[in-house]
Amino acid sequence: MLRVFWRVVIGLVILAAVQLAAAPVGFRGWRPYLQTPRLQVNLGLDLQGGSHIVLEAQDTKELKVTAEAVDAAMEVIRNRIDQLGVVEPTIQREGERRIIVELPGVEDPQRALRIIGQTALLEFVNTASQSLPEGATWNAAGTVVTLPDPEKKTIPLKKEVVVTGANLGDARAAFEGGQVNTGQPIVTFQFKGPGAKKFEEFTGSHIGQYLTIVLDNRVISSPVIQGRITGGSGQISGRFTLEEARELAVLLRAGALPVPVEVLERRTIGPSLGRDSLDLSLRAGAIAVVLIITFMIVLYRFPGVLADVALLLYALFLFAALATLRATMTLPGIAAFVISVGMAIDANVLIFERIKEELRAGKTLRAGIQSGWDRAWSAILDSNVTTLVGAAVLFVLGTGPIKGFATTLFIGVLISMFTAIAITRMLVNTASRPPLERYLRFGV
Amino acid sequence: MRTWDIIGNRRWGYLLSLFVIIPGVVALYVWGINFGIDFTGGTLLNLRLGREASLDQARATLRPFGHEDAVIQKSPESPREILVRTRPLSEEQVAAVERAFAQQYGGTEVLRAERVGPTIGRELRQKAIQAVILGLLLQVVYISIRFRSIRFAIAADIALVHDLLVVIGIFALTRKEVDSSFVAVLLTVVGYSVNDTVVILDRIRENVNLRLREPFDRLVNRSMLEVLVRSLTTGFGAIVALIVLYFFGGPTLRDFVFGLGIGVITGTYSSILVASPVLVEWQRLIDRRQRRPTEVAETASVPELAAVGGNTLPARRRRSRRRR
Repeated sequence: MLRVFWRVVIGLVILAAVQLAAAPVGFRGWRPYLQTPRLQVNLGLDLQGGSHIVLEAQDTKELKVTAEAVDAAMEVIRNRIDQLGVVEPTIQREGERRIIVELPGVEDPQRALRIIGQTALLEFVNTASQSLPEGATWNAAGTVVTLPDPEKKTIPLKKEVVVTGANLGDARAAFEGGQVNTGQPIVTFQFKGPGAKKFEEFTGSHIGQYLTIVLDNRVISSPVIQGRITGGSGQISGRFTLEEARELAVLLRAGALPVPVEVLERRTIGPSLGRDSLDLSLRAGAIAVVLIITFMIVLYRFPGVLADVALLLYALFLFAALATLRATMTLPGIAAFVISVGMAIDANVLIFERIKEELRAGKTLRAGIQSGWDRAWSAILDSNVTTLVGAAVLFVLGTGPIKGFATTLFIGVLISMFTAIAITRMLVNTASRPPLERYLRFGV
Repeated sequence: MRTWDIIGNRRWGYLLSLFVIIPGVVALYVWGINFGIDFTGGTLLNLRLGREASLDQARATLRPFGHEDAVIQKSPESPREILVRTRPLSEEQVAAVERAFAQQYGGTEVLRAERVGPTIGRELRQKAIQAVILGLLLQVVYISIRFRSIRFAIAADIALVHDLLVVIGIFALTRKEVDSSFVAVLLTVVGYSVNDTVVILDRIRENVNLRLREPFDRLVNRSMLEVLVRSLTTGFGAIVALIVLYFFGGPTLRDFVFGLGIGVITGTYSSILVASPVLVEWQRLIDRRQRRPTEVAETASVPELAAVGGNTLPARRRRSRRRR
């Protein structure tokens, strides 16, 4: 009776694992329907293509990097990425001042990087009678302006900020005079709240003077104030391409980063390389598994078949576990899978060799199986724990794909211990009764 | 069954180990490790061009950008692909290089573009060293606890250092580039090597606990032969899987799999011809200290080992308890 109970339990566990790993049954609300099974494991950037970016927040004169500043920066970056239309980006904080951004399947990583990494602090500066050319830059302290090539001259000029981009409500790319074909691309903006009022007052009282528009300390344009600007809307015309105007509009809508960030690391895997790697490694993994399965059958015959059944269940459980934990499968992760298949057969080899010895020593089949299992146990435990230790260290200290490797290895070794011990044992015990027992020879 | 005297021939093993390790160590000393951009910082561009470009042509394309020191590689299997490694470039520079290649060779597709700042590289190197040392330490601790003997742990550890030297040495000899996944290779090798050694040590422990009156070196030899089939079977299975990955797993995985393969071979080898002989040598040393001038190993008996190493393991007791 108890035996039947356990068989039902194991059957249910296997069904659940199939559902978790490949989802052959989908759900609309509570109504189930059949669908094409697909592996439910997240693919890492190295397998689906995409960009991995590490940013580090930098201290400025006025502002030291704080946890709040980094959090705020992450929020701004998230807003910007949302505008890029990236599906399922991840933005994580690492340590005190680092931000890790992962963008799956980005078409133009350089554009993404420009948008993510720019501080995008927009300032409207009162330069009174001084017109500044495009490309002139202020120093960080805001006291000296360097003119662009060819002059390269520096002039002392205090940066007197009237309003900043923080007061903007909206920004859009448009064409000058609404002429799509002939007009120069511009960015129109709309101030909100007190910013609008301040802007109106300032423009009213400084007619004829220059209001220089500065982005990240670099002059975009230096227009003359023609008259009082009411309603808080205005436009920025630099020498933009439409693309640049759009990017600037995105940056202004998402807001400026509270602290500047530096790109420490950028890794992009093109979509075709990712797909190739996935196809090749899956094929190689499948070939390796088939070879190992054949190898076990050649070596142990019927017990080898039992070990192979356990091995296939092992693969199923592993993928179910990875899917449940929402772990990411990376290229090294697939290698880890193949290695852990090797470890999974190792447990079986240890047990079978031990049973063989016990049988050679003259024990009966049942007794030999029992004592073989008992004696192999300490070797299996010790050898697996040492691998687990290595995987744990890699998980803690590794990043990106290496973490994926460690995760797969760790979970793989745990599950392989379970299948080797519980599943193979159950199968062998079942087979050690008539009529199957005469096939259980273990090569003796 | 014919019995092989592995322990008696262990000196050949030492010779073979030295034969592999010494050139590796010399290469390590002379050339050092060929660190990739993961560790040094730099830019890597892997492009698929519209049409084939020779290495000289590619170098000529790069020249206007002043990257004389860039390393350019091609693989014979995919002639339209090139791999450029250089010091860290800004995003604008990377874009300019991509454009130049696209113009001259009928378009490009970016397969891989990586830029690693020098700080990240330095950190990664530190972390890698930390990871390997931490991994080694934790495993020694685990073995010491499980075997209740520092001697077994040290034997396993010497085998481990042997394996790491072999793998690192061969990478230095072949000038293969070492990237962040090399750390994973090293730790997996550590895991595999210990795993394999532990299986043999486990059998030695078991036979020691049987307390048969048998010279220690005979006992070690017998234990090794008893588990030899499993060692070779598992090692063979792992190698088969790795060979398949090497040839069919695509170029990205190749160095990674190569390192693992070396590790599996040396890991299997070292449990038999390094770890176990170390135990025997140790025993001989103890015997010699106790002034038994001749035939030390032959007369050394197991209880002494137990006395010195504290090898009175309750393993059997525990086992019988479980058996009820």
